[in-house]
Amino acid sequence: MRNKIVGTIAVVALSVALGGCAEMQRAAEGAARQSGDERLARAIHGGGTLISGLLPIGYEEESSIGQAIALQVVARYGGVSDQSDLTKYVNLVGRAVASTCDRPDIPYRFAILNHESINAFAAPAGYIFVTRGLLKQVRNEAELAAVLGHEIAHVSQKHILEVIQRSKRLAGVTEAGLAYAHQNPEAFKGLIDAAVKKLLDEGLDQEKEIEADQLGDVFAARVGYDPTAYVGLLNRLKTLKGDDRAFFKTHPNFSTRIEAVQKVMQSEGLKPTGVMLGDRFTKLSKG
Amino acid sequence: MRRQPWWALWVGTVIVTVGVFSSITLAETVFVQAKTAKLRAGKTSLDRVVADLKFGEALEVLKKEGNWLEVSTAAGVKGWIFANKTTTTKPSGGDDALAKLGKSFRRTEASEVTASAGARGLDKASETYANKAGITQQHRDAVDRMTAYQIADQEVEDFLKEGGLGEYAK
Repeated sequence: MRNKIVGTIAVVALSVALGGCAEMQRAAEGAARQSGDERLARAIHGGGTLISGLLPIGYEEESSIGQAIALQVVARYGGVSDQSDLTKYVNLVGRAVASTCDRPDIPYRFAILNHESINAFAAPAGYIFVTRGLLKQVRNEAELAAVLGHEIAHVSQKHILEVIQRSKRLAGVTEAGLAYAHQNPEAFKGLIDAAVKKLLDEGLDQEKEIEADQLGDVFAARVGYDPTAYVGLLNRLKTLKGDDRAFFKTHPNFSTRIEAVQKVMQSEGLKPTGVMLGDRFTKLSKG
Repeated sequence: MRRQPWWALWVGTVIVTVGVFSSITLAETVFVQAKTAKLRAGKTSLDRVVADLKFGEALEVLKKEGNWLEVSTAAGVKGWIFANKTTTTKPSGGDDALAKLGKSFRRTEASEVTASAGARGLDKASETYANKAGITQQHRDAVDRMTAYQIADQEVEDFLKEGGLGEYAK
């Protein structure tokens, strides 16, 4: 009996530890099943399942999650604007910033939400939204680039995916892609709804927001936009009162954010470039 | 005290030497940190393009002047690249090795997922979610359009040029 337990552990460990281990795990699982040892086959399967739950989420799975979250964002924020020129302009600015972000090899798409609140959101796999209300506050392209940079940073740093990964571990779920949604749609919905609640109602952790502020400004500056533009926008938003500031209750206070952006400008040696592109913004944002 | 065998000293020397040389090599290597980048014959955006570089490609730095680096590709092509399109640490990209490993372990119906990736339409997981969550057709269509939305790389390049951004900075 003891030998059998030792053997089981050894096979499981070997199957997950060696190179090409997923294939090997399947082969070991199949061999155990063929030999009639269902218990051993299940143990090997369980070993792989446990490991897969701990490994990061891949892009295909991220894409399913991002699309599902995007559906909720659109549903809760009044749908997407059909102004094609404005959408194209926001996509061009966003694509320019994303092209030199820390994760430029995935598609980024930008849409405008028909909502007057001052808001912006990012869902995994590059689904990025800004509200009509936020666009009304923006005065030039450099400010828009920094706002989009902030959201791009949430995607490049996989901030929302981390939330999902934590929920998955707690729920003992090993994957949240197509097969899972198919087999257990209710649980998949639970996972997405929890992420939406965190994203839209509770807000991400404060240090993630600060990181997104800093990286967003760096990404925009890499393209050549003036890094001081974002400080200007944050200072202006700081003066807003009442409902207009509702969204920002989920973010760190403005003084902390401004300080963090100024700090990164200093540490990264980001100098004012004077590239604000106010005229292009005024012309093209009229849509 | 027991004397260490002679080969232990030799192995130690080799390890230290390799370590020192690899760190020197790393310090002179940069990686393309942009979806695409152009290698040019000179250090302005008006100079002739000598090669199109891909994300993550390793480049050996020969010289630095202002915002431009003179580099050599693995194939030996020399030219200039806008420095902001490079990074000193190797970018991991969309899926790092661990994420790929995780995917291989999961019993996902990979062929179905792959078939839907990049194609127009919500993927089946999102559709299942939309049905469960009661998302309207109008909102499904909006995300569908967003997923399919494309802008050509050249159009982004023209946009940068027009705004004097990136390597087109005045």
